Amino acid sequence: MFALIKREIQDHIVYFIGAAVFSAVFIIMSISLIHQYDPKVPPVFSIGLGIPAVTIVIFGICAMGATQMYLDKTRKISALLSTLAVSRSRILLARIITGILAILILLVPQTIASGILLRIFTPPIPMFPGMVFEISLVVFLMAFACYCIGLQAGWNSNPLTPSLGALFLTCIFIPLILIKGFGVHIVVILVLFIAASLIRTWRTFMTTSL
Amino acid sequence: MDENVIKVENLVKYFEGRCVLDGINLNVPRGCIYGLLGRNGSGKTTIIRILLGLEPPTRGRTFLLDAESTELSARLHSRIGYVAEGHNLIQSYRVGRLIKLCKDLSLQWNDEFFNHLMETFRLPTDRRVKELSIGMRAQLNLALAMAIDPELLIFDDPTLGLDTVARRQFLELAIDLIQQQGRTILFCSHILSDVERIADRIGILAAGKLVVDCPLEELKERIKKLRIIFPESAPPNLYLTEIINQQIQGREMVITVANWNKQKQTILETFKPSSCTEIPMSLEDMFIECTKPNPKYIES
Amino acid sequence: MQFRIDNASDRPVYRQIMDQIKRDIALGRLIKNEKLPTVRQLAGQIAINPNTIAKAYRQLEQEGIIVTKAGAGAFVANLDSNLSRSVRKKLISEELERIAVEAFHMQIDSQTLLEWFNNAVVKFNLPSKKG
Repeated sequence: MFALIKREIQDHIVYFIGAAVFSAVFIIMSISLIHQYDPKVPPVFSIGLGIPAVTIVIFGICAMGATQMYLDKTRKISALLSTLAVSRSRILLARIITGILAILILLVPQTIASGILLRIFTPPIPMFPGMVFEISLVVFLMAFACYCIGLQAGWNSNPLTPSLGALFLTCIFIPLILIKGFGVHIVVILVLFIAASLIRTWRTFMTTSL
Repeated sequence: MDENVIKVENLVKYFEGRCVLDGINLNVPRGCIYGLLGRNGSGKTTIIRILLGLEPPTRGRTFLLDAESTELSARLHSRIGYVAEGHNLIQSYRVGRLIKLCKDLSLQWNDEFFNHLMETFRLPTDRRVKELSIGMRAQLNLALAMAIDPELLIFDDPTLGLDTVARRQFLELAIDLIQQQGRTILFCSHILSDVERIADRIGILAAGKLVVDCPLEELKERIKKLRIIFPESAPPNLYLTEIINQQIQGREMVITVANWNKQKQTILETFKPSSCTEIPMSLEDMFIECTKPNPKYIES
Repeated sequence: MQFRIDNASDRPVYRQIMDQIKRDIALGRLIKNEKLPTVRQLAGQIAINPNTIAKAYRQLEQEGIIVTKAGAGAFVANLDSNLSRSVRKKLISEELERIAVEAFHMQIDSQTLLEWFNNAVVKFNLPSKKG
């Protein structure tokens, strides 16, 4: 299992480096923005940076999932692996774990940094206990959902198409969050979506001809 | 433990509406070297891919080492060595990295034997797989398959791209392996001389069916090609069964028959031929006869 | 021992091996009680399926040309003693009939055929009568 995961990481190291870099950049930007925080000035700059940043992240995560599957198919990686002493389910599981690791590398530092910064600079921003946790959970689930879209579509198409699809879907989800807030409802919807997507990917991968 | 290491039951496979395999039944017993022959596109690779679970069958079932092909566990895969047609290796990796991956994912690995093979084949480890010649890729694939000390070896055109010396090395490796207890080999090849040297049983695939499936030594004794001359024009129908091929030209008839016996001899004699000679056939001749499309009459 | 397998021949491989062993014995390259290579050795040497070689050896033993001793291997038989005359007659007669049929189809007359046969007898130093 470890060997499989190691292989996936090595093949897609680009995404891991990207995630780490992005994370670092985000933390640095956040620190500098908070230093300049002025309650009278509307946070135009923050939002101006935030939206393209979110776009890149969504695109990147989805592309990672799609790339993993697409490269597998074109380079016939699973075709070789499945004739070795591994089962198809283990190959897929290793792939998904690798994706989750990349997402965590992207999100965990940012979450910790945000938590620390908010602790230092509140009470200008109202908080309630568990807010950071809830927001992090929803963000993680959203990222994972994008990843799942990538996985599902990547087997048959190039990385570009599903990434655009994910972008479109997020345009639906973000207004939903703004309207309904980071609540249990969102979590449930996301979990159901992820479950359905993964099941479909699983079925395809298990029965496809390699 | 069943004596048959490979079992194929009524296998049918359609590709995009085209029937590639039309009811194949095949059993390979333990300790046997089975040579599967057939023209390009006859379905040999398809059977092997279905056996290994790489492709689902349309109808029918296949079994490897007593397990159904669609449910092969990782443990079972570790007992099977596979050399695919075209030598399916991850082209973009370096040889060293590929070897490490296969080694890490294997349950048993004979390092000494593998290194011995790498030395014999003189394969470099620092180049990328795609930079190797076809022959070297074949040898790498072979070495990787043998290093796991497999019980069952499945080769799909294993000598493709190998030079004469390398081909001989491969044959000697195969013989070496089969002399160990309980090993079985299934292989497809176009090189009939290789098949004739090392196979115990052979099967010939033509038009989606297994037209021949018997021990190799019996094949030459069972299939006969006869040149029959009749006093007057040859009869269009000899009422013989198992005619593989038949050609008529005036008084002369050339007929290829399977399982020639006294009965058929008697039936033939009722037509009172003026002469009947046997045309000797090599394995290649027999293969060509068995893979011809439906027999035609040629009259002049 | 050197073997050449002819893939263009209509003779099965095990028969070709048998033929060559018999030929070697007749030509004096293999002498009485000489040890033959084991099935394993020969299989590895000439890259032929061991079952094929085993069958050739079994068949030769049945015809009395070689003997196998448990644990020791296969040896060229002491040709004077083993096989009954009737079996030898049967084997040789089959071969002679094959030749006669071939000669008939090639339209070779009996005189010429006997002449050629005598040449072969002389070439292989067949004794004129069993002493």
